[in-house]
Amino acid sequence: MRRKMVAIMILTLALQACEEIIQRPVLSQQTNLLVVDAILTNEQKQHVITLSLPTPNLNQGRLPVTGAFVEIGDGSKAYTVTESQTNPGSYISEAMRAVVGKTYLLHIVYKGKEYYGVDSSNPAEPLPTISYRKTNDVSYTLNFSNSGRLANFVEYQISWRNTAACTTASCDGKVYWYDLKTIDAHEIFKPAKAEFLFPAGATIIRRKYSVSDTYQKFLRSVISETEWRGGYFDIEPANASSNLSEGAIGFFAVSTVIADTTVVRP
Amino acid sequence: MKRVSSACLLPLLFLILFLCIDTTFAQDILSNKISIENNNTPLTTLLEEISKKAGVRFSYNPNKINGDQVIRYEATQKTLITILDEVGAIVGFTFKIIEGQIVLLPEKPNEKPASVEATLSGFVHDRKSGEAMIGAVLFVDELKTGVVTNAFGFYSVTLPKGDYHIRGSFVGYKEFVKEAPLLSSRQEDIQMDEDPPLLAPVIVTDAKPSAIEEIQAAKIDIRPKAVEERPALFGEMDVIKSLESVPGIKMHSDGSTFYYVRGGFRDQNLVMLDDAPVFNPSHLLGFFSTIIPDAINDITVYKGNMPASLGGRLSSVMYVQTKKGNDQRTQVWGNLGVISTKLGIEGPIKKGASSFMIAARLSRLKWFFQLLDPAVKKFQFYDINGKVNFKLNAANRVFLSFYTGSDDYYINNGAISWANQAATIRWNHIINEKLFVNTTFSGSKYDYFLYPDVANDTRWNSQIANINLKTDFSYFVAPQNVITFGAALSGYFFNPGNLKTKDPNAVFPQLSVRNSSEFVMYGNQEIQLNRRWGLNYGLRITSWTNTGEAFEFVLDNNGNPIDTLRYKSGQSYKNFINAEPRATISYTINERSSIKTSVARNVQNVHLITNSISPFTSLEVWLPSSINIQPQIAHQLTLGYYRSLSRPGLSFMAEGYIKKMFNQIDYIAHPRTLLNPLLERELRFGEGTAYGIETQIKKDEGRLRGWLGYTYSRALRQFNDINGGRTYNAFYDRPHQINLMMSYDINRRWNVGMNWNYSTGAPFSSPTGFYSYQGQSVPIYAEKNNDRLPDYHRMDVSATLKLNKNLEKKFNHSLTFSIYNLYGRKNTLFIDYNKQQVIDGSIKIPANALDNDRVISQSYLFQFVPSFSYNFKFL
Repeated sequence: MRRKMVAIMILTLALQACEEIIQRPVLSQQTNLLVVDAILTNEQKQHVITLSLPTPNLNQGRLPVTGAFVEIGDGSKAYTVTESQTNPGSYISEAMRAVVGKTYLLHIVYKGKEYYGVDSSNPAEPLPTISYRKTNDVSYTLNFSNSGRLANFVEYQISWRNTAACTTASCDGKVYWYDLKTIDAHEIFKPAKAEFLFPAGATIIRRKYSVSDTYQKFLRSVISETEWRGGYFDIEPANASSNLSEGAIGFFAVSTVIADTTVVRP
Repeated sequence: MKRVSSACLLPLLFLILFLCIDTTFAQDILSNKISIENNNTPLTTLLEEISKKAGVRFSYNPNKINGDQVIRYEATQKTLITILDEVGAIVGFTFKIIEGQIVLLPEKPNEKPASVEATLSGFVHDRKSGEAMIGAVLFVDELKTGVVTNAFGFYSVTLPKGDYHIRGSFVGYKEFVKEAPLLSSRQEDIQMDEDPPLLAPVIVTDAKPSAIEEIQAAKIDIRPKAVEERPALFGEMDVIKSLESVPGIKMHSDGSTFYYVRGGFRDQNLVMLDDAPVFNPSHLLGFFSTIIPDAINDITVYKGNMPASLGGRLSSVMYVQTKKGNDQRTQVWGNLGVISTKLGIEGPIKKGASSFMIAARLSRLKWFFQLLDPAVKKFQFYDINGKVNFKLNAANRVFLSFYTGSDDYYINNGAISWANQAATIRWNHIINEKLFVNTTFSGSKYDYFLYPDVANDTRWNSQIANINLKTDFSYFVAPQNVITFGAALSGYFFNPGNLKTKDPNAVFPQLSVRNSSEFVMYGNQEIQLNRRWGLNYGLRITSWTNTGEAFEFVLDNNGNPIDTLRYKSGQSYKNFINAEPRATISYTINERSSIKTSVARNVQNVHLITNSISPFTSLEVWLPSSINIQPQIAHQLTLGYYRSLSRPGLSFMAEGYIKKMFNQIDYIAHPRTLLNPLLERELRFGEGTAYGIETQIKKDEGRLRGWLGYTYSRALRQFNDINGGRTYNAFYDRPHQINLMMSYDINRRWNVGMNWNYSTGAPFSSPTGFYSYQGQSVPIYAEKNNDRLPDYHRMDVSATLKLNKNLEKKFNHSLTFSIYNLYGRKNTLFIDYNKQQVIDGSIKIPANALDNDRVISQSYLFQFVPSFSYNFKFL
């Protein structure tokens, strides 16, 4: 034991790879870039398109874009999209569903400038069996694994708000697992990610999204700048790609979704 | 000095019979070695002395050969035949062996015109070890001219016949002056003695720093001893890391062996170990370099203005020669450090004629890491250097050397590994006293492996391999007039990274391997035009050819593939011919100062494809110039001022440069560099501009040695498709750099060292805004490299105690205590904007997309690292 402690002390002293929080101003620049966050799925529902402006600081809430004209078309029909009265920056489509094989067009007019984005969906592959494990007497965490042969991502909406285990204000979570079928050194050596813990009784809604080629490229660039950024084999920072015209950022995606719901059993 | 010519000989006939013990005369007696010390005596007396010592009889016609003429002649352990040749050249006779006697015959006036010049040539060695001394200066006092030994320690100086004094100097060695009667051409090896570690009082010499005398500009000689004296991380003396103290050279950061020279990318630096390239000279991700300092004889760095014999890179060549091994006595040396153990043995195979050296280094990290984490399966690196040499005769010497080194890091079912291998066979041949030829056959290979699944032996492997045959001629026309010329033929193999696996279900894209050949011809002349002006000019012509079996994509202007071209094995399909002229003009202002200006065009046909900003060795892919990648080209102009100051060994240097680089490589946003058959589609090409001024005050001699350097430099890049076409700072653009390095001998046993390095922080791209997507806070970058990391500075100190009280003992050992980053500066590696502090205080990527508590964080290495190392040498 003593030998081990000596070794640990030597190594701790020697190989000091440290990370610490620093205070540093963001070199923010005023910009009027339009940010689009839109995903149409095969679910028959009113889809939400979010328009905003970039924020100059970290952790700052969205700066909503209001007064824009938004429209979706599939080549044969135009779908009306109206601005939400209660949630500024959100634009709600009429009830619709995206169909595999069709190409959808997002058309936005904002401050006299017209923006376009195009995408089409791939079919979805089945969800793998959900897997989670116990981390201590009361908490569980998800096990992730890649599935299928096509690029996809899985969204886990987890909530235990309506259970007795909910003793704090935060009893909800949303976790993403990206399986883009790409190989990147900075993904292999990505930085450590926190574990999301939840108690028994929590409900997990999984939604597996299919990803088109351009959406895959966009997601890869976003994750390169977020989940994969900060490892020891980092790459040059760069702006995430986009499928929107006129310099708008974000993405207009069309995806096929497969979902299931699980209640975590003790 | 009295000059002797055949014209003064009187034709007298005289027969002299010497008493002789032997009655029979053997032809091989001419090979007997004798010594002669005969100052200003008549020829008859000299012949008598030779007769006595060699046991021979002479006869000659005193009417033809004047036995009374006074001559001056000395010889130490020379063969009789050499002595007779040399005396004959002075007096003007030839000789024959007739019936057991040596008959001296006068030279016929019209038979052979009397030469008014003679050449002194040979090798300069360290007396104790026999190691060649590269760059030693031999200065002829009477003529105020000199010569510098070449890369093999060979020198040749042709002078009018006469008596001279040769003054030899080399940093760290005792200056000597020796009488050198040059009455006929001869070969003489010279030995030099190392300075004791401490001299009191300090030897005062008037030797000028070689930078003033040499015509070559932008050249740095790094003595292995200086590397040893430098404080080092974990006590691991490191050749590459020592470059951080050289003005004009920027290291990537802590924990890295990547370096940048005068605004060029890191792949523009060539490291040559005994003429074989080493493509990734790093260990432990880059914490240490592969070169074992104790096994090194000489290190020379050219910052862009390399001689025409060297090339293939735009920015620098680091030319490292390993020791050939002590040819006088066997010695064992070694080192025990925190990280590794080194052991070397060298000695004569045949004393004075052939020797060997083998050195090995093995890491001892696995034990530590397995204690910390049992998942660690392998965590190790090693190096082995070896060399043998054979002196076949006075004119021929053969060297065989090899290097192998590898890194293996296996954790759980994943691993990374890389390996360098190099081997060289070299033949030094002296064609005549003025013409030296070196023929080298070398090969090297670098492999990088990434194992995503060790159990299935799934591994990604990239490779670059090289084989080279070259011949270099050095023709010593006159003391300060050397012509070098030669040719080289190389073959290259590139694997840009393919995956192999035992998993039958796995399907991966196949990348085309590439084969290339390169033919190089060069010529170079270095000549002192007169007392003030010197000129070094040369031309290097390269012909680079790509050959099959390979496939290449034809890309349109948008980088989209429009065709695939397939080439059969051996089929040549692309050729680049480039001329690389270079010239340096030096002007000696006075004995203590000179200025030089140089211009050079360099071409590079091998390219490292990486957009990593990591200081560590990550996935490394090399590609050749080919259909989609043009050769990189650089034009560099330098202007330098060199001055020796009034105190001995103290010098000042200032060098300014401007460099323009073409066909530089950068990348589209988030390129796919791994397993991408269309890798070239991810590349963009543009221009680089670098300029700066490097200054240095250096003290080479005395108890206090070291230097202080300041550099102002810029490195800018411009690509039409990147950063909106606007010029941006390269990562290695760090305008201000200060280097202070000192070593002080307190007494004969204690030495202390210190180095302090400062540079402006490295540029990086910092966000100018953010947007939210799926809970991710996505950064927006307005400009590439718009920001800078905090300034870098660090002080290291060391103290070395020689444990022997008697330094003359056969067994010498020492203990070194060093502290890396004495004042604990947190030198930033990265600044990130995407992490959160979790409950245990660590900083991680958020798991919950609903969290909105990201922080700005910085990473750094090595805040304060004390270490011990133990060194020993047994003679």
